[in-house]
Amino acid sequence: MLLVQETFRRLCQAREMLLEIPEEQLSIADVARQLDFSLFHFIRQFEALYGDTPHQFRIRSRVDQAKLLLAKGQHSVTEVCMEVGFSSLGSFSSLFARRVGVSPSSYQRRARLLVRVPGGFPQQLFPGCLSLMGCLPPSAFRNFREATVVSVSLECGPSLQEEAKCESGSRASWWKTRTKL
Amino acid sequence: MRIRLTSIMVEDQDKALKFYTETLGFRKKKEFPVGEYKWITVVSPEGPEELELSLEPNANPAAKTFQREMFKQGIPLAAFETSNIQKEYERLQSLGVVFTSEPKRMGPVTIAVLSDTCGNLIQLYEPS
Repeated sequence: MLLVQETFRRLCQAREMLLEIPEEQLSIADVARQLDFSLFHFIRQFEALYGDTPHQFRIRSRVDQAKLLLAKGQHSVTEVCMEVGFSSLGSFSSLFARRVGVSPSSYQRRARLLVRVPGGFPQQLFPGCLSLMGCLPPSAFRNFREATVVSVSLECGPSLQEEAKCESGSRASWWKTRTKL
Repeated sequence: MRIRLTSIMVEDQDKALKFYTETLGFRKKKEFPVGEYKWITVVSPEGPEELELSLEPNANPAAKTFQREMFKQGIPLAAFETSNIQKEYERLQSLGVVFTSEPKRMGPVTIAVLSDTCGNLIQLYEPS
């Protein structure tokens, strides 16, 4: 699909609108209408450009904003729920748990325990660069070494794979990494 | 000093891996967990084998803002070379990829711009 500049511009504008959390939430059909799209074309073109439907995008960005607010630790779970545009704490909590894997309160507790730069966010939850996540446990960095050894060994044939197993230390952890590669 | 690794920030690492391998045609080189994220790299089957592209999470709010603003301005965050841009353009279009610019001659190169569905615009270019 080739998007003309005008359509591209409107789809960028749509994304900005979906990021906003107004008092009265616009429906996806409202956003489409305001930007002169038919609902069908809007959903189809938005998804082709961004990889998410407008609804999926809105949910994802709200969960991301909620994670950020929870990690900052200055708001309660209920306040965060309202802040990111949910009206029901129950539906917010279950959606958050489904997406993130833990409840909002567990996420907040976990964020409190992490080391952070004053005024910033914990690197573990909001990395700027994976290889600079200096506060990760040593086991995380073992993965880098093992993956390097394993990728070399796979290219060089089975005899070197045995050596790779010895070099990487634990046989169990080697296989764990091996199966993920 | 060598250039062996470069990276691009992506919205969703699993989805990005799928797009960069199944659609663009790169090959997965590494994938392992780092905390709640993953270290994922891809290489081009056309080589060089030792030059890896890392698909990093754009979890950091600064990365998200940067990515969104560059996208809005139509600025690609990476460029990949091809020896036949017209053929690549047609192949990717048939796979449903969105282009914001069709192949156009720009001086010594022909370029096209596509969306990687992970928050980035990518430039394809064919040197003449």
